Amino acid sequence: MSANTDFRIPLFIRGQLIEDNWVEFSGRAGGTGFSAPDIHVYADQLPLRNPADMADLYQVPFEEILDVLERLGQALDFETNPYIQEAYEAGLVAANYPSELLKSSYIQLPMVFNREAIREIAEQRIGIAYLEGWVNQTLTDGRDLRIRAFGARTLHIPAGNGGLVSAITIIRNVITRSDAIIKAPSNDPLTAMAIVRTLYDIAPDHPITRHLTVGYWKGGDEVLEEKLYRPENIEKIVAWGGFASVKHVTKYIQPGLELISLDPKRSATIIGPEAFESEETLHEVALRTACDIGVANQEACASARVIYVLCGTDAAGLEQINRLGELVYEKLMGLPNYITSKPKSFNRDLAEYLDATRMDDTFYRIIGGEDLEGAVIVSQFDEPVDYSSLLSGRVSNLVPVDSIEKVTAAVTALTQTVGIYPESLKEQLRDRLPLFGAQRLTSLGYACSPTVAMPQDAIEPLRRMCKWIVEETCDPEKVYPMWLDQTA
Amino acid sequence: MTDTIQAKARQMMDDPIALFSKSITQMHMIDQHELESIQRTAMSMRFEEHYDSIEVLHTLADRLGVTQLDEFNDVVPLFFPHTAFKSYPASLLDKKRFDLMTKWLNKQTSYDLSDLDVADCDSVDEWIERLDEQTPLEVITSSGTTGTISLIPKSKHGARYNMQLWKMFLFQTFGQEPTEEQLNPVVDVIWPNHYKGKLGHLRVGQMIKTEFTGGDESRFHALYNDPIDTDLMFLASKLRAAASRGELDRLVIDPKLLARKDEFEAMQARRPAEMAEFFDAITRQLSGKKIFMTSAYPLMYDMARKGLELGFKAGFAPDSAILTGGGTKGFELPDNFMEVIKEFLGVDTIQEGYGMSEISAFHWACEKGHYHVQPWVIPFLLDPETSKPLPREGVVTGRAAFYDLFNESHWGGVISGDEITIDWSTPCECGLKSVHIHHDIMRYSEKQGVEDDRISCSATQQVQNEAIEFMKEFEA
Repeated sequence: MSANTDFRIPLFIRGQLIEDNWVEFSGRAGGTGFSAPDIHVYADQLPLRNPADMADLYQVPFEEILDVLERLGQALDFETNPYIQEAYEAGLVAANYPSELLKSSYIQLPMVFNREAIREIAEQRIGIAYLEGWVNQTLTDGRDLRIRAFGARTLHIPAGNGGLVSAITIIRNVITRSDAIIKAPSNDPLTAMAIVRTLYDIAPDHPITRHLTVGYWKGGDEVLEEKLYRPENIEKIVAWGGFASVKHVTKYIQPGLELISLDPKRSATIIGPEAFESEETLHEVALRTACDIGVANQEACASARVIYVLCGTDAAGLEQINRLGELVYEKLMGLPNYITSKPKSFNRDLAEYLDATRMDDTFYRIIGGEDLEGAVIVSQFDEPVDYSSLLSGRVSNLVPVDSIEKVTAAVTALTQTVGIYPESLKEQLRDRLPLFGAQRLTSLGYACSPTVAMPQDAIEPLRRMCKWIVEETCDPEKVYPMWLDQTA
Repeated sequence: MTDTIQAKARQMMDDPIALFSKSITQMHMIDQHELESIQRTAMSMRFEEHYDSIEVLHTLADRLGVTQLDEFNDVVPLFFPHTAFKSYPASLLDKKRFDLMTKWLNKQTSYDLSDLDVADCDSVDEWIERLDEQTPLEVITSSGTTGTISLIPKSKHGARYNMQLWKMFLFQTFGQEPTEEQLNPVVDVIWPNHYKGKLGHLRVGQMIKTEFTGGDESRFHALYNDPIDTDLMFLASKLRAAASRGELDRLVIDPKLLARKDEFEAMQARRPAEMAEFFDAITRQLSGKKIFMTSAYPLMYDMARKGLELGFKAGFAPDSAILTGGGTKGFELPDNFMEVIKEFLGVDTIQEGYGMSEISAFHWACEKGHYHVQPWVIPFLLDPETSKPLPREGVVTGRAAFYDLFNESHWGGVISGDEITIDWSTPCECGLKSVHIHHDIMRYSEKQGVEDDRISCSATQQVQNEAIEFMKEFEA
């Protein structure tokens, strides 16, 4: 398949591959289109009608789950797996990632299924004992509890930032012993499909294969949604993505159908005055900043965009930040192309704003960007550009500020990650920034290097994906029996 | 020959009405080869003038190494994006730094604004009014959803001149030399909109009031008597932007504006009575009279639908002039909306035109529904992504861009957000020789299904209401 031809997204329903009743879809913003089986023909087959059919998952010990995932990871080798190669080709057409960058994300995919990494996710985020059986607790009122984390029938609407989100979605589903219906994102149409087809090839009858469904329909297809998004079909929806798409899903939420929202997130960066202590330090700070901007070509929610620098807004401060801006741009351009490279396409609105900003350097200076390769905008006063919400395509905005009070402006209800330099400043800010909305504070340079084994977006998605069931034993000798007549 | 071209080019820039002897037919029947050489010469002259007088153009031309313009396409790299008119930090308005705002605007215009007195200037409206009083400018605003407002430094002279052009195009007939009555029409003006404001179309309304009524302002019938307040529109824009960024909790309202909350609420409360009065005026007092009315499609349709629902029909004189245009995005208009408007008004023809705030020219549609480009405007079609010029032959669709030679107060080259089609090689069936744009015009944002960042004039009242509602909640 060449990168310019249309591609097909089959439908995979719990081990059954459907390649029939094709209908065509146009790509994002009128880009290359693709075909998928008409989802309306198969709508009745999508939900797991009988919840009792999930019982098979509980016959599988956790170590066996790890065995299967380990084999799956090995089978996802980019060089030998045709499904993965096809997913890569489709991603090239459907998403904005340059080829080297996208390829490296597929090359890394097997590592995501590393046995110990998955064990760590399960243990740290839920506790394997709760997944494997009933965990005892005795409460002060005398009752004995046994708690177990059950899976749920869950619909997933993952984001299409490369293939990683699809992989995480499948791993989370398997760990929690859930039944997943995964709606493939139009900008990563085939990764989830490639993973489940590979899984089918190595373990066709395994319960975890039999509880995965992957397909494509157009987001906002209300005919399908109204039929499928009901408590009798699914118990939870895990929705990643933009404001409009997550907001759209909320209209189906009702008692019995819960939304786990991993919604749009912006990120911020805060750099302390220590960055300017020596030339060597300044170069390192610039390189780490460039890394936070450049990884995944700034397409991630954790990517650095507006970068506050505590250098002050006087002449000396502006000189420092302008110099840092030059260095960040230089380092960004120097990063290897498996980390970042010139964007394949560039937001036209942003380009127009940059053009206009360049006409007058009173308030902002722009370093680079003439070739739409990425740019650093350096504010010459203590505010970001008015179009900061458009920053993408490796365009960042350095903002000088006089005091630490001002950096709280960087953090809002939509802020996910805050990259901070140095560590001492992070400790100073960690009790304060969460009040405004920050969800993850990390060392500068690590914004786009998260792990699945930690909370995400200020929630514990894996725990939320589980149903926490309690079985209790109350001995009337220990726990007060309400039925006894107190007046007697 | 060269001298003649030079002279004509000068006149095209300064007084195209005189160049074409007040005749719209002459304007659109000029030989296209001759026109192009006049345009090329005028473009080169205008660039030289503006290079010296407009700082942002100077900076851009220097950066690109452009020193002179010879061929049409030479100007394309110098086209301004629409963002040029809002490239100031919006926080300057919040902080009422009208000294810095004036400095910014001074770089956008050919006029010297350095003597403007902004002492104690307390609102955006007041600042613009000071510019009105103390300079040749008549700044127009347009609001967006990005928390800023665009400020376009138009001139009073240009605005007044444009009204002369409007009269010519509204009342003359293509193919016939104008009569005295057509040159100086005196009519009742129906203005289904707010009385005034700094938004482009409301500035036009004020011009129409003085230019079309023979000086009798009682013949100007506005739907709402209250102006649109610029500071309220700025709040509305910030509100939309803050909502989309999840930052509504950070939005602070200027106490001075908040203090006027009761005034704005009273204004909302007056509207139903004003509307009833308006319908009474146009259906009883003006029935059978020759009138001029203009507004955007959705507003005109809204008025017609409401009028018909209330059992009114206007029934104006058949030689009345009705003009409409603008986009229909965001409004559910039925397929027969033009018929509904005609039924209410009692007229057979409704004129249509195409224009944009950033340039002065308005292009009238002929009987075939094609917009004929005014001779002092050079149209361009650009690749929608790269903004490189597309060929000027055959039938071509692309992003519209225009260079307006008549713009004197600000740079006349702008790129639009509109997709248009021009047939460069076939003369229009209507018989006019001028370049003609196909009737179907679409915003690129509409095509891509993304939210447009501008607030159309038809949506003005809706966003204004949002701002007033927010003020009520804010105080509560």
